[in-house]
Amino acid sequence: MTNQPPAAVLAVEGLTKDYPGVRAVDNVSFSIDSSTVHCLVGENGAGKSTLVKMLTGALRPTSGSMMVNGSVYQPNTPHDARECGIATLFQELHVVDELTVLDNLTLGMERSRFGFLIKSDLDDKVVQTLAAIEPSIDPSARVSSLSVAQKQIIEIARAASSGANVIIMDEPTAALSEREVERLFGVIHQLREAAVTVIYISHKLDEILKLGDAVTVLRDGKHIATKPLSDVAGRSELIEMMIGRNLFQDYTPRSTVTDDVVLDAQGLTNKLLKDVSFHINRGEIVGFYGLVGAGKTEIARALFGADKIAGSILFKGRMVGNSPKQAIANGIALVPEERRTQGLFTNLSIRENIPVMNLRRMSDCGVFRASEEQTAAIEYVDKLSIATDSIDKHTEKLSGGNQQKVVLAKCLFSKANLLLLDEPTRGVDVGAKTEIYDIIKTLADEGNSVAVFSSELDEVLGICDRIFLLFAGSLKSEVTNNSDVDIAHILNVVTGGGEGTSQ
Amino acid sequence: MRGSKKTGGALIQNRRMSDEVYITLLVASVAVGLFLIASLLVPNFFQWLNLLNLVTNNWAVISLGVGVTFLLVSGNFDLSVGGVVALSGVLSVWFAQSTGGANALSSGLGLPYWLAVLSAITGALAIGGLNALFVVRFRIPSIIVTLGTMMVARGIAQVITQGSQRNTNLPVEFGVLGNLTAFGTSVKLPVVLMGVLLVVAIFIERKMVFGRLTYWIGANPVAATLSGIDKARHVTFLYLFSSVIAGIVGILLSSEFKSGYSNRGTLMEFDALVIALLGGVAIAGGFGSVVGMFFGALILAVVTSAATGMTLSPDWQYILKAVAVFLAILAQTWALARRNR
Amino acid sequence: MNLMSQHSSFVDPSNPRGNKVSAFLRTYYIYFVLVLVVTVLSVANLDRFDLFERGNFLNQRNIIHILRISAPLLTLAGAFTLLMVSGYIDLSVGSTMSLSAVVYALLAINGVPFFAAFAITLVVGFGLGAFNGFLVVRLKITPVIATLITLSLYKGIALLLVQDGVSAIKSGGGLKMPEWFNFYGREGVLLGLSSAFWVAVVVTLALVIVQNRSLLGKYAAATGGNPMAAKLSGINTKKTIFSLYAVVGVAAALAGIARSSFMSLGDPLSGDGMELSAILVVLLGGTAFSGGEGRVLRSFIGALIIMALTVGMLTLVPAYYQTLVIGTTLLAAAASNHLVSRKESAQ
Repeated sequence: MTNQPPAAVLAVEGLTKDYPGVRAVDNVSFSIDSSTVHCLVGENGAGKSTLVKMLTGALRPTSGSMMVNGSVYQPNTPHDARECGIATLFQELHVVDELTVLDNLTLGMERSRFGFLIKSDLDDKVVQTLAAIEPSIDPSARVSSLSVAQKQIIEIARAASSGANVIIMDEPTAALSEREVERLFGVIHQLREAAVTVIYISHKLDEILKLGDAVTVLRDGKHIATKPLSDVAGRSELIEMMIGRNLFQDYTPRSTVTDDVVLDAQGLTNKLLKDVSFHINRGEIVGFYGLVGAGKTEIARALFGADKIAGSILFKGRMVGNSPKQAIANGIALVPEERRTQGLFTNLSIRENIPVMNLRRMSDCGVFRASEEQTAAIEYVDKLSIATDSIDKHTEKLSGGNQQKVVLAKCLFSKANLLLLDEPTRGVDVGAKTEIYDIIKTLADEGNSVAVFSSELDEVLGICDRIFLLFAGSLKSEVTNNSDVDIAHILNVVTGGGEGTSQ
Repeated sequence: MRGSKKTGGALIQNRRMSDEVYITLLVASVAVGLFLIASLLVPNFFQWLNLLNLVTNNWAVISLGVGVTFLLVSGNFDLSVGGVVALSGVLSVWFAQSTGGANALSSGLGLPYWLAVLSAITGALAIGGLNALFVVRFRIPSIIVTLGTMMVARGIAQVITQGSQRNTNLPVEFGVLGNLTAFGTSVKLPVVLMGVLLVVAIFIERKMVFGRLTYWIGANPVAATLSGIDKARHVTFLYLFSSVIAGIVGILLSSEFKSGYSNRGTLMEFDALVIALLGGVAIAGGFGSVVGMFFGALILAVVTSAATGMTLSPDWQYILKAVAVFLAILAQTWALARRNR
Repeated sequence: MNLMSQHSSFVDPSNPRGNKVSAFLRTYYIYFVLVLVVTVLSVANLDRFDLFERGNFLNQRNIIHILRISAPLLTLAGAFTLLMVSGYIDLSVGSTMSLSAVVYALLAINGVPFFAAFAITLVVGFGLGAFNGFLVVRLKITPVIATLITLSLYKGIALLLVQDGVSAIKSGGGLKMPEWFNFYGREGVLLGLSSAFWVAVVVTLALVIVQNRSLLGKYAAATGGNPMAAKLSGINTKKTIFSLYAVVGVAAALAGIARSSFMSLGDPLSGDGMELSAILVVLLGGTAFSGGEGRVLRSFIGALIIMALTVGMLTLVPAYYQTLVIGTTLLAAAASNHLVSRKESAQ
């Protein structure tokens, strides 16, 4: 290593992104050296995905600047970013299943004459790139016949052969098996040798320690540190940098928790879940904490009867039906993960959204009681302090927090005894968050049970009485919350560290 | 708690007309406006009788429009209604024709009339059931399914009538239903039934859970399922509902003309769709109303009858429909975008 | 590099031989169906007609007849497939065809020479298709509604172009169809088959090449298969869709010319129901509703099947069974496509 610092391939300076009420990325500055694997870590909500969206041109920064190879970089679309040599592997795959591997590799880069494809060195070049990365994939095979990992390799090969010198990988291992992860790492090392810089985003700290050259840590939208991983003293230091502060909300033990089992799940198993068993008590708030892809949503949907699953679920001592309709009739309600696409009827008003889960209460021999609906809407707008000037406002026009409150109101109106909340505060501003937590606690104090499925540690530590830790579809451990709970242990377990060992 | 807490009173006072009411009013005023313009251009247009005729002449399509509107609101097409009109009409004739006629087309099954009607409705229900099976169970796009069942329904009608019609050997009571006039006026029973259907449909749509379920399913099918709504069952009901209406329309039409004609109802599915679109029903689902559809039908009726009054060739109707739908879609999109800016 | 090639975890673990068989079936099933339909129709005819006489389904005259009247549908099948592959649909093809037929007949009857009339009609077809593309791409009207609007519009124009009191453009009233008019669609030029049929073959081959070897064909599949991926790769999906609508318009115009020439008149209703036949043919060829999947050649074979079925049926049952059989086939094709795709997604 010489004293001369290596050339920065990508640098951000004072980068800031404001959303209404939230500053997602706050004056972040750091630079990334060429031909390195640069890892980006931080808890959920730390600002990673917003930062990545700005780098890929999906979002425009509020202020600050970005530089690529020393020149100003202002992408407007992901395609602009690609033109500037920055390619991205998003979590969802962007390959065309119906085309062949070769067609996918050359998509958008074809050489043509009069609109017809012509033979060029491009084909040979991309095939060579692919062969160098993964020789076992047949370029003439249809992509639909490939595995997820192979499709990912196709995307990497496409990025590499498009001349990208920076490839951003957002949680690339979420859907991969252990052996496939090994292969991916091999590919990443190869890319680095070929002078390609990889920006690697993952929650799995072991992967980062194994793979990375340098790491940037974000917390609450702020830049905490950028340093070579050789200077990082293992998982514990990373975890410390990621948490490193007082918790957002302190947990206070609640007195209404009983030992009375309300829900008992045994041996839940599907494609992802592996023999998950747990129980939930009356008056209790339990948390399911794990990374993206750990199986939280799968458990929530299984309890709600939305997906088929092997294993048994007993609610109040009886089998739960296999449809949301029966689950609701039995007293279970779900606030789904995607509020806009799964929870709300966005082009209907608040008033029309609220009664949907409890039609019996709303109707008389099939006739809708409009006055009851209005009363209910006013009651819940008031109770949950939904900020609106009218109950006839389209839910589309509400802020994220208020939309989430409407979804909550739907569930509360169903008079459920067990409320399942999947990522209840995702994309919700701080004020509404606190209010939602208050609602949850009140509900549990009234003798109901609540299960919170979250990838935010603050959230589960702040309100849950018991926390189940999930990793890769398994329930690894159970933690009883108290003021001196071992946070490092929790993070260690959910990021794939050995159970019970913490450094 | 941030901001001032709204009292219940303010929340109601601030009630704004919904987009749906807004569009319906827009459609209604266009219908009235067009009627007035037509009155200026066409001699003898401005008469109560003419206004009444605009509705009564279109009872069949307006009735079909009710079922089609409900389905569109739930996010599904029904293009089979025209075929069902032909099928049920032909079936009612075939079932009611007495046995042992002079040739194949003049001899039927000889069922009593009420039984013939019931059986014909069962035939219509079978097509509705087929629609539901393919759309709900197999998840095939409704446009393709109902184009197919339209042909199947009309095809069966053509086989039964050997490609033409059956109109002989019918019991006397066969022609009663379609030609009965109500309360000593010239208004025929089918028109009265259409009126009843409209009132019932508006009640179901506005006041009953069933109507509300239709909007929820159309607005967001995923959220509807996760809110405990049995989408499959509801859409099945809607297809059965639509085909029963079409079946009754077919029976009434064949009673009115005392014949079962396999080409009856051709393009009625298209007209029913057109009036729904003119009335502001969105094919994306979750938006639109029966009242809007009714005014959409008025618009179409005014435009086509004014065109006839201005001695335009009847061939103009296709162009007029196309232009009307085109303008309606653009105007509604523009009006909503402007309003919600 | 060595490290890479030692692993074999990326080799597809599933049974490669079983996959090959099912892939073979998926690709070639349509030919089996064609053979099956022809065989059944031929055998079914045995007891009614002499084996080697005029009635037999598989005689030369019958084959020539079928291929000759198939020309319009065969011409249309390929272009319609490419549009469906991109995830879009055109319900106005029948009206485009009718309007083109009327325009072509009008030009011919007014003394415009063959090549000029032919070329002008193709330009009209291009314009009609491009207008569909404009409604869908620029005005963002849902494809089904946009093309229902033009279905009605083009049909209305076609009807208006024909004088009141006359059902179609034909000889009479001082005007006479030129001698050459029905040569294109009727007279055998090669192997006893008409020019219109050979044009359909050439168009199909050209579209096979477009599908396999051109940007348009590839982008159609990419747009239908994964629109987001297509956009991220910098593909102009709007231009792709617009071009495909225009191609369908030109193909429909060719089909209209073929039908008009065959019938020796410009019938403003001649294309009615063509959109149904086109959808049916494309579904038979295994094209997915959702886009991405579908082959031009298989739709061509699908069109042959439908025409064989239609004509073959006429020798077995009265003509009024036709609508029922077509409708049933449409539902059956849709259901079998569904079953195939469900099986695939379950894998």
